[in-house]
Amino acid sequence: MRRMITICAAVTALASGAAVLQLKLAVQEKAEAVEALAQQIHQDREAIRVLEAEWAFLTTPRSLQEKSIRFLALMPPSAEQVVTDITRIPFRPKGIEAGEDPGVLLPTKAQPEENKKHDKTDKDRKGQSL
Amino acid sequence: MSATTAYQRLSLEGERKSALDVARNRLMVAVLLFFAAFAVMVVRTIELGLSTPETKQVAERQIVIPPVKVARADILDRNGEVLATNLETSSLYANPSKVKNPAEVAARLVEVLPDLSLSEVEEKLSSERKFVWLKRKLSPREKWQVNALGVPALQFQREEERVYPHGRLAAHALGYVDVDGNGLGGVEYFFNDRLNDANRTDEPIRLALDIRVQYALTDELEAAMSAHRAIGAAGVVMDVNTGEVIALASLPDYDPNDIRGVANQQRFNRATQGVYELGSTFKTFTFAAALDQGIATLEDGYDATKPLHVARFTIRDDHPKARFMSLPEIFAYSSNIGTAQMALDLGAEKQQNFLRELGFLDPTNIELAEVGSPIYPATWRKSSTMTISYGHGIAVSPIQLVNGIAAMVNGGRLIPATLTHNDDNWRQGQQVISQNTSRKIRQLLRLAVTKGTGGRSEAVGYRVGGKTGTAEKAVAGGYDRKALISSFVGVFPMDDPQYVVFALLDEPRGTKETFGYRSGGWVAAPVVKNVILRSAPLLGVAPKREDEGLYQQVALMIEE
Repeated sequence: MRRMITICAAVTALASGAAVLQLKLAVQEKAEAVEALAQQIHQDREAIRVLEAEWAFLTTPRSLQEKSIRFLALMPPSAEQVVTDITRIPFRPKGIEAGEDPGVLLPTKAQPEENKKHDKTDKDRKGQSL
Repeated sequence: MSATTAYQRLSLEGERKSALDVARNRLMVAVLLFFAAFAVMVVRTIELGLSTPETKQVAERQIVIPPVKVARADILDRNGEVLATNLETSSLYANPSKVKNPAEVAARLVEVLPDLSLSEVEEKLSSERKFVWLKRKLSPREKWQVNALGVPALQFQREEERVYPHGRLAAHALGYVDVDGNGLGGVEYFFNDRLNDANRTDEPIRLALDIRVQYALTDELEAAMSAHRAIGAAGVVMDVNTGEVIALASLPDYDPNDIRGVANQQRFNRATQGVYELGSTFKTFTFAAALDQGIATLEDGYDATKPLHVARFTIRDDHPKARFMSLPEIFAYSSNIGTAQMALDLGAEKQQNFLRELGFLDPTNIELAEVGSPIYPATWRKSSTMTISYGHGIAVSPIQLVNGIAAMVNGGRLIPATLTHNDDNWRQGQQVISQNTSRKIRQLLRLAVTKGTGGRSEAVGYRVGGKTGTAEKAVAGGYDRKALISSFVGVFPMDDPQYVVFALLDEPRGTKETFGYRSGGWVAAPVVKNVILRSAPLLGVAPKREDEGLYQQVALMIEE
């Protein structure tokens, strides 16, 4: 009996010692990882500064305009093209219809009629625009 | 035998006794040692119990990320776009005492850095010193090439470089820095101490500028300047309700990233430093003063049939109607004769006080060191009163004019112009004219565009109001008829003024498109129109159909 207790105590002592050592190593590893992470964040922040400057350089209005002229057929908008009233947007679903996304499927039979209706209202509204 | 055994026993006993003594002595030593150890532990326990607990932890719970250290704070625009930032770079230096063969090293170095002079580098490398700068701020590519030479005496010092990603845009507002990062112009100079404050380098300064509007303004001014072969141009966009400067342009400009060899003429800020006689745009202030102080009402009029003669001047109209004109007509057709007579009714003193109140007699208070002092006559004669009423004989900077116009249209509150983003700036304003007068001025400005000289600034949908200004340049002993300062100040939208747009061209020449005309209405008004068309959607001003009723009453008083 006494021997059992001794053995038990010895085994427990050994096991807990090993566990503590294991924990210590794990903590050390984590601490190193945290340190590395902090360093990484620091470096990333420095890199972000450079990237922000580069972004500003690349998107400076002058170069955007040059690229727009080269690659796009966009012109400066005229006052008529600016829609200030949201209800003027043509084909804009209203109320409950807004929830249904037709996606890329072919239109059902009901829809052409609706479009016509919108067309008409749109034309009516055009009369009011500038 | 017995004696022998007795002796032996004796000696055995003696040996046993001494062994016991030794064991006991040793035991005592161990006991004492243990006692000492326990005593130390007891003392330590008591000490720990008495002392305050230490807060030190084995592992730090707070993770410290080393902050990004820069030597100078960034400058941002109102939307957070980077206008000026510090980036890391390397500077090349050498330790000449370690260079064995200066001529060879110099030759190889100049090969990769062609902008260095061979003789100079050789001289530096042959010197006896331990440290010489060879080149400041190398590009990463140059650094790599120098490293590839494999000369141990060539070394790099980490340094920071001020970078302006937008190049020339807003150069005059931003300014520039020297090689050590001290501001030498613009806000870089004005806020130098704040930007270099070691505790606040992570807090950027946010300017009121909007870089997109700045580009629209600069681009249009550049186009007009080359079309009319002008020697210079200036432009300002200001928020009338906060006094914030949304865009500030002066041409010719420079690239703050590389200020070597930039002429003074390029550094000159025409928008704040240059003072110009701005011509008829000043009539707005004469009208405001007369209407506000009850000298005249919109129903009054003046006789403009023939030129006025005063002292050695003759006051003529550029767009002569040669008849009696109502006040709205005088404004819309920009009659000098009518305005001068109104100024006489107003009187020199009131005129002077009004202009002083608007800040036209002192340099402006904007956050720039480059501000020009206005020029006006020391003795305010009758002729001065008359000429100043239409903008001759007084020279102010464009920013001052814009600031004054903003006060005329925003309900009469003069808000100091500012380059920093500050929503509370309007609180510093003070009332200079009544709300009612401001409303009348708005009507007059709108009609000057729809019916008068400013027609070419009409940006459809944005209800622009404005006033043209054309002045002959003052030269020694008079005016140069050939050299004009043509300007236009526009406000939009006129039913709820938000922004003032000002454009000025220095010595424009007429073109085929303008039929040879080079007045403000022909050369500067289209610039303002284009700037408004380009920037209004960016600034959130929606195009709208005009409410004609706002101007009907005054419009009826204008005859073609």
